[in-house]
Amino acid sequence: MSNLENRTITIERTFNAPLALVWEAWTQPEHIASWWAPNGMKLDIVEHNFTAGGTWKFSMPMPDGNQFISEGVYTEIVPQEKIVFTADFKPMTENVEIHVHFKADGDKTNFTFHVVHETEEYCRQQEKMGIYNGWGGAFDRLEGFLDS
Amino acid sequence: MRRDVFQAIADPVRRDIIDLLAKETMTINSIAEKFDVSRPAISKHLKILKECDIITIEQQGRQRFCMIQPKELIPAFLWIDQYKQLWENKLDNFENYLHQLQSKNNKHE
Repeated sequence: MSNLENRTITIERTFNAPLALVWEAWTQPEHIASWWAPNGMKLDIVEHNFTAGGTWKFSMPMPDGNQFISEGVYTEIVPQEKIVFTADFKPMTENVEIHVHFKADGDKTNFTFHVVHETEEYCRQQEKMGIYNGWGGAFDRLEGFLDS
Repeated sequence: MRRDVFQAIADPVRRDIIDLLAKETMTINSIAEKFDVSRPAISKHLKILKECDIITIEQQGRQRFCMIQPKELIPAFLWIDQYKQLWENKLDNFENYLHQLQSKNNKHE
């Protein structure tokens, strides 16, 4: 009933860039600030302790004055190979675990991204309502903001 | 009050009722027996589900039968894809940024 597959969202990509650059862009705060936030949004890197057990916290100011906080803990880091971190995107997606795998393929990089939800029921619930309420609201605000 | 599929599934008891009715048509009594909550509470949930068009209630003799309307649940499931799409968008951002970095680096060489 709660096997891992049923509570995991998986995305695979091949980036047309060498592993060293992909790793740098994914892990260095000055780079993260440039891509983590949706287009046009400002991102503040509040904390970024890129070490096993280290915490991270990003904040996106919303047009309505609220802060959209995402935060978590890096649980495992294998340089240029693997990152596991927890993530809370308050108030909608709480306590997911994200697994990112990198593998060099010549000048390209194979990239695998898993979002593991706590339980299958939780995942289902998130899919059914939590995401709608949270992301939906945030992205509605965002859309309004970008149109303005 | 809002009456749509998301309101319908916002409560855990209603989600359980939907799960039950997805398998078979049931009478109000047999639904109430499956839960520890009071009969009036179940009636209230059924009323909301009915108002959200997720179920229909039909009188047959002395029994009232609840039937699921699967088509009405579709909007909720569309969100599954949209949720994945949000991560896809983030990775698109990342990929675009990588390309920017690369072209910048190439200029410097």
